[in-house]
Amino acid sequence: MFKDILVPISSEYYSKELLEKTAFLAQKFKSRVNLIYIIEEKVINQTGKLSNGYRTSDEIAQTKKDIIREQKLTADSIVFEDAKYFFKKRNIAFKEKIFEGEFSSVIKRETNRKEYNLILMGFEKECFLNYRLFDELDIPMWIQSKNEGNSILSICSNLAPNQKVPEVSIKLSKLLNLELNMLYVVDVEDSVQVDKNGKRSDKKSERDLLFNGQKFIDEMEKKEINIKLVKGSLEKITLKAAEEINPNLIIIGREQKKKGMLGLPIKNLKKKLAEKCKYSLLFVN
Amino acid sequence: MNKNSIFNGKFKLSKYSNIIFIIIAFLILAIFYFIPTPEGLTQNGKVMIGILLMAAILWIIEPIPLAVTGLLIMIIQPIMHVIPPNEVFSSFGSQAIFFLVGAFIIAGAVEKHGLHRRIALRFLSHFEKTPRIFTFGIMSSCAILSFVMPAHGVAALFLPIVVSILIAMKITPRQSNFGKVSMLCVAYGCSIGSIGTLIGGARNPLTIGLLSDLNPPINVTFFDWMIYSMPVVFISLPLVWVILQFSFPIEINDIYEAKKEINNQVIKAGKMSNKETIVLSILIITIFLWILFSSHQYFGLAVIALLGSILLFITKTINWNDVEKRVPWGIILLYGGAITLGIGIQKTGAGTWIVNALFNTVGINPFLVVIVIIILTVLLTNIMSNIGAVAILLPIGIAISTEIEFISPLLSAMIIAVGAGFAFMLVIATPGNAITYSSGYFSTKDLFKAGFISNIACILVIFFIAIVYWMWFLEI
Repeated sequence: MFKDILVPISSEYYSKELLEKTAFLAQKFKSRVNLIYIIEEKVINQTGKLSNGYRTSDEIAQTKKDIIREQKLTADSIVFEDAKYFFKKRNIAFKEKIFEGEFSSVIKRETNRKEYNLILMGFEKECFLNYRLFDELDIPMWIQSKNEGNSILSICSNLAPNQKVPEVSIKLSKLLNLELNMLYVVDVEDSVQVDKNGKRSDKKSERDLLFNGQKFIDEMEKKEINIKLVKGSLEKITLKAAEEINPNLIIIGREQKKKGMLGLPIKNLKKKLAEKCKYSLLFVN
Repeated sequence: MNKNSIFNGKFKLSKYSNIIFIIIAFLILAIFYFIPTPEGLTQNGKVMIGILLMAAILWIIEPIPLAVTGLLIMIIQPIMHVIPPNEVFSSFGSQAIFFLVGAFIIAGAVEKHGLHRRIALRFLSHFEKTPRIFTFGIMSSCAILSFVMPAHGVAALFLPIVVSILIAMKITPRQSNFGKVSMLCVAYGCSIGSIGTLIGGARNPLTIGLLSDLNPPINVTFFDWMIYSMPVVFISLPLVWVILQFSFPIEINDIYEAKKEINNQVIKAGKMSNKETIVLSILIITIFLWILFSSHQYFGLAVIALLGSILLFITKTINWNDVEKRVPWGIILLYGGAITLGIGIQKTGAGTWIVNALFNTVGINPFLVVIVIIILTVLLTNIMSNIGAVAILLPIGIAISTEIEFISPLLSAMIIAVGAGFAFMLVIATPGNAITYSSGYFSTKDLFKAGFISNIACILVIFFIAIVYWMWFLEI
């Protein structure tokens, strides 16, 4: 299912649990793992910017060199050593590399260079690094969190094509032996219907949206999936359901967000969920 | 700012934001130029308040380099006919400027020959008993080195030393409390140490420069400064260390690998070279002269600093290339702007007007005024450069002393200068925080958590020192 997994680790945020989870999933899916350690340029630039005026450009450049050298040493001696410990134990093939640059840009470059089936990463809200890749990549993204429940919470809605989410959810629930709970959310704050191609319709009445939702539920029930229809805000309902179910993983699809002025997105659901949710998330893009 | 940006101190703005903030800063100045003059304030005083607010915006947001804001402040005063050009530029004749130049040259020589690294390793090797004592060793070594060289340089020096020790100990970034405490000890040790002498932070010479320009002048020697500030250092250093121990209880017991790594680094550093010995001797002589002969009846601060620098040239331990590489001239320009801002605020009566406007509502209880100044300084230094915070608050603090009984200009200046050293909460607060954050060993949340508690504790320390030691015991 996930033949090639990319595991990006930022110099700004490292968690051993991520490697442990990667090893577990790679063993289950018989995947190859590419581990990349990214020396976050935003942090280094911030250090340089703050020192500007207080220290000379030579001193700032020297500090930058020192930081990069120490980061490389940290990657080699700690992060990659941990990876060896987790992966070799399970006979998982993996490659490691160090990059300097901006988190999202480095990942995008790497995914352009090679085809990956999954990006597995950690998340921390209070970081300098930018998680814009959530919206810019169409590869499934797994955001690992510390909480470990016994089920999968799968979220479908009027705002997503709902093609991949059921398929991936069923496969994962079987493979990982986790109970599957699915929700179909009729988002009343954004009353459109997204079609199979990801295109948003014009505004629809609540009745129509509920009707479409019920149709989807009937389909899923035929497949013997435990599913509920809920009305409300997609973000709030997802968070509330997660608190009630305490899942191991939340799977969410390619929501087509409402656009604001000049076509800019005004709802960044994925980032909001990653920030607010204490459970692992899988964005099936 | 949202919560996220408060933690990491970043402003998520587009590339046009810099231009927008520059326009806002100038708009504020224009508004102050054109609005009717309030009662009790002169036209020039009103314009100076506008310049102060413009400087505050530019120093907080930093759409242009700090030093360029300093230059802008200097040219805008003659342009708006507030202060004549000859008076504005005469601030560069201050001996504090030449003290800064001399101190940077000496620190440059220390850095060039790696003497600072040797001193740091020597200090650290005395604290290898337990992990807790080791973190105290890091903190006190940083503080002591910050007595003789700029604090940011000390943070940059300690980053590779401490990271290589942590790596040797296989300490995982973010997950180990020992890693967090070690790195935070570097950041906070440098900040606290920078308070102790006039060399640690450029805000200290700025403070004595502004005091010496008062009428009558208040002259503070190198030794005077140490007498005033060292108690704050000696109380806050262990206090903040204890706070770190409680905030992040250390999980390891063995320090053997750290010991081994320090020994390796000492061996790598080799024997002390002749040039290092010369630099060390000149450094000791200069400090000795500063302590004993920096008062006005002897040589003054700048003469001794420049004497030390010239000795370094004569002994060929430093050359002009090194000076060009290692003296941050931007800080001198920033200093010039800050001091003219202070003089302008005082001369136009703007400071007195601001104080009257502020304390008409707050009241004039001197204890209340002291705590308000401390809190304001600590808050401001956490969101902007500490020299900028001092430049903005010092003229107001000095004006307070003319209006409120029991508060002298020296007292309010010391409160502001010392308070500005406690930039603990945000990554953007001081380069030392940013340098140590880049190690990846602590999060912005960790910094905020430890910094918030430490800041509260240090506010109380300054308040206690101000009331008991400075006001009551030293009667300053």
